[in-house]
Amino acid sequence: MNSSKSQPDLKELQRQMLAWLKAHDPVIKESVTGTEKVPADLRLDIYANAYRYRLIEALEDTFPALNTLLGDDDFFNMGLRYIERYPSQHFSLRFFGHRLADFLAAEDGFKEQKVLSEMAQFEWLLRATFDAAAQPRLSLEDLQNIAPEQWPELTFSFHPSLQRINLSFNVPQLWRAIEQEQPPIDIVEQEYPAGWVIWRRDLRTWYRSMDVDEAWAMDTMQEGENFATICAGVCEWIDEQHAPTRVAGFIQNWINEGLICSVK
Amino acid sequence: MPNKTPQKKYPQLGFGLGLRKEHYQDVIDTRPDVDWFEILTENYLVEGGKPLYFLHQVAEHYPLVMHGVSMNIGNTEPLDRDYLTQVKQLKKSINARWLSDHLCWTGTNGTNAHDLLPLPYTEESINHVVERIEQVQDFLGSRLLIENVSSYISYKQSEMSEWEFLNEIAKRSDCLLLLDINNIYVSAVNHEFDPLNYLNAIDPQQVQQFHLAGHSDYGDYIIDTHDEPVCRAVWELYAQAVERFGETTFMIERDASIPPLAELLDELNFARKIAAAVSTQGINHPQIQNLLENLPIIQTSAAEASEAAAV
Repeated sequence: MNSSKSQPDLKELQRQMLAWLKAHDPVIKESVTGTEKVPADLRLDIYANAYRYRLIEALEDTFPALNTLLGDDDFFNMGLRYIERYPSQHFSLRFFGHRLADFLAAEDGFKEQKVLSEMAQFEWLLRATFDAAAQPRLSLEDLQNIAPEQWPELTFSFHPSLQRINLSFNVPQLWRAIEQEQPPIDIVEQEYPAGWVIWRRDLRTWYRSMDVDEAWAMDTMQEGENFATICAGVCEWIDEQHAPTRVAGFIQNWINEGLICSVK
Repeated sequence: MPNKTPQKKYPQLGFGLGLRKEHYQDVIDTRPDVDWFEILTENYLVEGGKPLYFLHQVAEHYPLVMHGVSMNIGNTEPLDRDYLTQVKQLKKSINARWLSDHLCWTGTNGTNAHDLLPLPYTEESINHVVERIEQVQDFLGSRLLIENVSSYISYKQSEMSEWEFLNEIAKRSDCLLLLDINNIYVSAVNHEFDPLNYLNAIDPQQVQQFHLAGHSDYGDYIIDTHDEPVCRAVWELYAQAVERFGETTFMIERDASIPPLAELLDELNFARKIAAAVSTQGINHPQIQNLLENLPIIQTSAAEASEAAAV
């Protein structure tokens, strides 16, 4: 400690230590003692390394398929850049990766491979589905009590675990091959993005693709629009007379899959 | 600042384990001979899904206590009320017997380092932490347990030993202590003091619970990794703790390289065996020595230890 300087108070000491962890700012060294066997620099390195390794472990845990796509070394270096760009601000490590997909879509060296951002987004939504709130499901019997004339005004609410994503690449297939340790499959970019839905039922996570009209109907219904509006909207893809049957079919499937919680 | 009149401790729970996701199904299916489980608080501060499902199943059959890493009690920014609110709700929903966190800071200025960073052992830190513990205890409506952390650095600003710091905070805030015996050992090696000095200085009136855990030994220093079985030196210190603190609440804390449940039950039974022998025969009985005879003696430097205590 320079005798001309006053000792840092607790707030300043913490600021200095954090600056060491984040950017190797050496000013904290003035406040740390070492021993002959373990000098202060080594002691501080233990904390600096632990800071990075712990956060990267959290990313590995949330994004295992992205890790496989990138390879361990590139994933680690990507993690270092992400930590620097978006230091953790939440009390739980569970939420540390919430900006990784955006990071990969924007950063040089990653944004050129759009599949990386899509995989990060897909794995983040899988995690969101895993520990989303539980809620009772609607059954088909619940619908039987509704009079036909009420149907045009009906709105439906979805299970809290439901997540929607549109993917240009064969990300779910890549994820599945990696998760099941199957031989690697080619990364394929589709001509048009495909709609996917992810949800949880009986503690298990499910996902499937959807036709474009089903994806639109689900998104619009999530926004609170009623049955009649959805029927009118799907006429962009099918003729008007088949629209109610088509939309009723969606709803029946969604109920069977445990995607819908209530109707009003 | 005056010391508070000590309140009664919580009823003792016996010998427990940390509840880990790898063992959920085993615990529910086989109902192992474990007196209680400790949960990692943050793992269950979610809205639903498997973690909460299994937690409520386990809560039907075992007493639970909560152990957190995010209270950030030593931070100089205001306490995170949102976090504390979630913790309080979880505690109520599983009827947790008590709640513990660490004597450290984990982040500041809006950034979470997710590490248990040590505080300087100063009067300023004591005043700050005591005030924060009191705020938390008022908010929760119950006594908090504070755990000693492993550390790798010492601050030049420190004015006392770690055990003096810990005792003083417990006395002034009337919180309870969760003594981590492995952490005492790790810090003893890293800072070259005698762990028995630490153990014997702690006021038994404030101690509610003990942790036992493993670590990674790098020769000149030790990292607190919780990924190994409890080592013999820590078992020896544990026997000393049983002798000093008597009937209390012990548990094995494994956080990585999680082995099958049966291995942890073996470790827990060894803890029971040592405790029973020490309680009935005393620490110096040949039976205890027989159990502990292969334990290494920790080499310490008396000069350095006293220097550390005097800083």
